[in-house]
Amino acid sequence: MGSIHDTHMSQYIPPTLFHCVTGTWTIAAGQVAGTICKHVAATDEASVITIPILLHSNSSALKGSHLVSIEIDFEILVAACDALAAVVNKVTRGADGAVAVVAAQTFTYDAGHDTASERIDVDQHKMTLTLSTPIWIDNDEYILVEITADKAATTTMDMLGAVANYTLRL
Amino acid sequence: MGYLHDTHMSQYIPPTAFHCVTGTYTDAAGAVSGTIAKHRAAAASTGVINIPIILPSNSIDLKGAYLKSVEVDYECLLAAATSITATMNKITRGADGSVAVVAAVTVTQDLTAATDAADEDQHKLTVTLTTPVWIDNDVEYLLVITAVCGGTVTIDLLGAVANFTLRS
Repeated sequence: MGSIHDTHMSQYIPPTLFHCVTGTWTIAAGQVAGTICKHVAATDEASVITIPILLHSNSSALKGSHLVSIEIDFEILVAACDALAAVVNKVTRGADGAVAVVAAQTFTYDAGHDTASERIDVDQHKMTLTLSTPIWIDNDEYILVEITADKAATTTMDMLGAVANYTLRL
Repeated sequence: MGYLHDTHMSQYIPPTAFHCVTGTYTDAAGAVSGTIAKHRAAAASTGVINIPIILPSNSIDLKGAYLKSVEVDYECLLAAATSITATMNKITRGADGSVAVVAAVTVTQDLTAATDAADEDQHKLTVTLTTPVWIDNDVEYLLVITAVCGGTVTIDLLGAVANFTLRS
């Protein structure tokens, strides 16, 4: 039996799978012709975008996907946000009759997003969240990245997609 | 070239990938802070949720993903539903100019449809294929949840997990 240990795996997660609440969200063309996005219209409000990390999991310890980092591509348009921050949550699924348990994971922002002002400006953003301790994803777990974007009255945003970087071991 | 055969593989399928008809469905925060849901508002009708099984397939016999079971996480709130029943469809994609062909797949569910699966509670419903299937590249699988609802019950669909063997 062979084995795989590849430290260079990545998984694209399209914006159509993003879970977006608070705000008027639509599927729209991106600013660059041929790209796609989830677009939120201008309103002074805090929108929450949750990105499900679509990776294989494995019930054997130290096998499957070892999540290392997540890159999120988005664009802030017209006006800067008032604030924008991310949380990485590990969700342990509940047994029948029990609730799920959510645990926030420690991570660092990339150098271009590690201050609040860098995350909110009108610009194209590629924000990388690197886990302080990468996670082997068990079959009873999944990972959600939650972005809270406190928009100004004229701010609009285009969420373009995300990429999860991981090691695959089988 | 190595050979891979792992019987412990699983794939999370988020609620944003679910296809929900009959009823009013919205993306909403889950009952537990930090979780997400596709929320069905109260309505006395039968909601139908199709869950696309997102696994790699393979055009070679006995290779790729061997689908064994699917677990569905959901919550019935405010009241019990009348019943929650799982079925599965195998869709053989049509050639250009041809329709797809649908065939029912025999499955069993671990929670009784009209009682344990439908009561006001958190649910982890495991649906097991009687005969596991190798997924061909021209085939896709949909798990169908039929939720017969009274006028009060709301449902939060939290996600699903497909359990499979990977061979390549």
